[in-house]
Amino acid sequence: MRTKLLKLVSLALAITLIVAISGTSAQPRAYAQDRVFKLWYYEPADSAMGIAWQNAVEQFKVMHPDVTVEFEEKVFEQIQETGMMILNSDEVPDVMEINKGNATAGLYASSGLLTDLSQVAEERGWLDILSPSILTTCRYNENGIMGSGNLYGVTTYGEFVMVYYNKDMFEEYGIAVPTTFEEFEAVADAFVEAGIVPLTLGAGDIWPATHNFYELVLYKADRDLISNFQFLTGDVDFHGEAFTFGAEKLAEEVEKGYYGDSSTGVIYADSNAAFVQGIPPMNLTGSWAFGGFISQITDFDWGIFIMPGKQFNTGSGGNLWVVPENAKNKDLAYDFIDLTLGTESQTLMANAGGIPINADLTQIEDPKILELNAAFASIVENDGIAFYPDWPVPGFMDVLGGGLQELIDGNLSPEEFLDSLDEAYNDYKSSLE
Amino acid sequence: MSYKRSRGYAVFLIPGVLAFLLIVIVPFAANIGISFTKWKGVGTPEWIGFDNYEKAFHDELFWASFQNNMQLLIAMTVIPTILGLLLAVFLYDNITHHFGQRATSVFRAGFYLPQIMPLVVAAIVWRWIYQPNWGILNWLLDAVGLEQYQRNWLGDGDLALKSIMGMMVWFQLGYPLVIFMAALQRVDPQLYEAASIDGASWIQKVTRITVPLIRPEIYVVILTTAIHAMKVFAPIYVMSRGTRRATIVAARFSYKNFFEVPQVGYGATIATLLTSIIILLTAVFMFIQTRQERRENQ
Repeated sequence: MRTKLLKLVSLALAITLIVAISGTSAQPRAYAQDRVFKLWYYEPADSAMGIAWQNAVEQFKVMHPDVTVEFEEKVFEQIQETGMMILNSDEVPDVMEINKGNATAGLYASSGLLTDLSQVAEERGWLDILSPSILTTCRYNENGIMGSGNLYGVTTYGEFVMVYYNKDMFEEYGIAVPTTFEEFEAVADAFVEAGIVPLTLGAGDIWPATHNFYELVLYKADRDLISNFQFLTGDVDFHGEAFTFGAEKLAEEVEKGYYGDSSTGVIYADSNAAFVQGIPPMNLTGSWAFGGFISQITDFDWGIFIMPGKQFNTGSGGNLWVVPENAKNKDLAYDFIDLTLGTESQTLMANAGGIPINADLTQIEDPKILELNAAFASIVENDGIAFYPDWPVPGFMDVLGGGLQELIDGNLSPEEFLDSLDEAYNDYKSSLE
Repeated sequence: MSYKRSRGYAVFLIPGVLAFLLIVIVPFAANIGISFTKWKGVGTPEWIGFDNYEKAFHDELFWASFQNNMQLLIAMTVIPTILGLLLAVFLYDNITHHFGQRATSVFRAGFYLPQIMPLVVAAIVWRWIYQPNWGILNWLLDAVGLEQYQRNWLGDGDLALKSIMGMMVWFQLGYPLVIFMAALQRVDPQLYEAASIDGASWIQKVTRITVPLIRPEIYVVILTTAIHAMKVFAPIYVMSRGTRRATIVAARFSYKNFFEVPQVGYGATIATLLTSIIILLTAVFMFIQTRQERRENQ
């Protein structure tokens, strides 16, 4: 008798457990009045994009008063590392920001995790707003290589890598803005001579040094090399002139003290903070930092220049809005993308220090922002967009960025570093054939 | 208790066994299965047999990661156990005698404090301490005139793991200390008195009386901290990102393959190997402990 009772109790316990684990699938469907629109992005709130997109959220709330907006602020690394897992789950947001390029957007698109936006883009006129060079990073083919194929993402801005410089310090040391690479080296040498670390670098994070490296590679690169490298259309010689120059020059710059002797212990945020505090005179980083600098730098005058004396420049259309294949409210996602592409949001972004693609530029007065947009326009006009070096193959950031950290450390020679790039790149490339 | 009667109680095991099956056994079996495939996380896994294991065997990063785990074993098990034991005895004997129970409690709480902090928070704080340009460690070295010892603590590949090890000693120390202090309550003070009369030194008393008597606690501490050292992830990830050979550990290497590359099959292989090593380690320890206990009982 007693055992029977015990068996019953344990059976009940087991059933409760199984129900508890198998969980939430039995929830009732959401009705129209309690629809929840889920939005994720990782641009900081004080960046130009953050400001513009917050405004788009407000517009969205007016447009859809019956929808609750659930916004989650993410960080770049989080999406870079777990994007695949998130997109493959049922817990996806309706629209999210992801990093563009083969290694991320391309991989997700070719894995069938993103909604094909080609049709919607035509219906809603997005294709009229996005210029061809901006669209390169929005299209991916069946192998996940950018440049052709269906439209899987929409960007609302442009971005590029430049040098931010402290005008007060340049003046104090009687230094002029360089117009050739030799002059740039002379500027850096002059600061080193004066006992000042010329460039701030947050090589404690894996990605920042990839920009310094690629900018150097581009001094010896041509369009063919860039296309072959980025679109995997032909062979890339990592021991050729361009990549060798990049690796050896960077090692030489480190040797000469351009980045101080502790850059690998400094994370990106701290590196930018040092520039904001007026410690190093130059900071090579992207336009995404521009908006933050406008509001944060108050103690000195600053300006920008693109690395002088070359045609190509690190840069592209911005990060992408994508609509996950598993998203529940795709119609709302399209409405939101519409708003971020709209003139109101775009002009706001421009005024906050961004690079809009659909703004009313006559409404911008700040000369710094006009300078920024002029610089980007000049790169686009010269057909100088060269994308980012970590994009071509999945996992390349790890090899490239991690390798550069060891190169800066002196634990890897330029030769060994280039060997590792060659191996990782061609391993993946051959797996596609 | 007869077999028949004990069978009646077996039903109470069902919820636990079910949960164990669902949460541990099934995922572990799935992990083993995935480790024999080539898979990027979505789509169909492709069966490749032992290829991943062979790849791991020749992978320099794989060996580097386990070597780093071994170094962390020193920082998380060996040093805290020895230091914790000496400190526990010192606090229990000297501090309590001279300053009272209250002073001992304050010290014990102080040493244990890092343990109640989330490891990630502790790691972030130590990242600031180690920051090369304005971190407090370099600042302190400068302040006391030892600026020649200033270092790029977490950035320098030769130093990064040692810096993390330093932090882990601080973090781990409280755990063995608290356990050993509790264990010391069991030791009969008359034994120490007798030893003192016979002229035994302090260190002799520790090694001849304390250690043999609190051996069960020492085993528990060594086993749990060793397991912790094998699967450590958070401090490595927070303090150095752990992507480089200098600081990568097995769990970080597995994570990297799972999520960043993504080679889920290979990541599963490393996870399987790591789990096997931990199980083996535990088994060896249990065996030694049981044998020791049996010998003592005889």
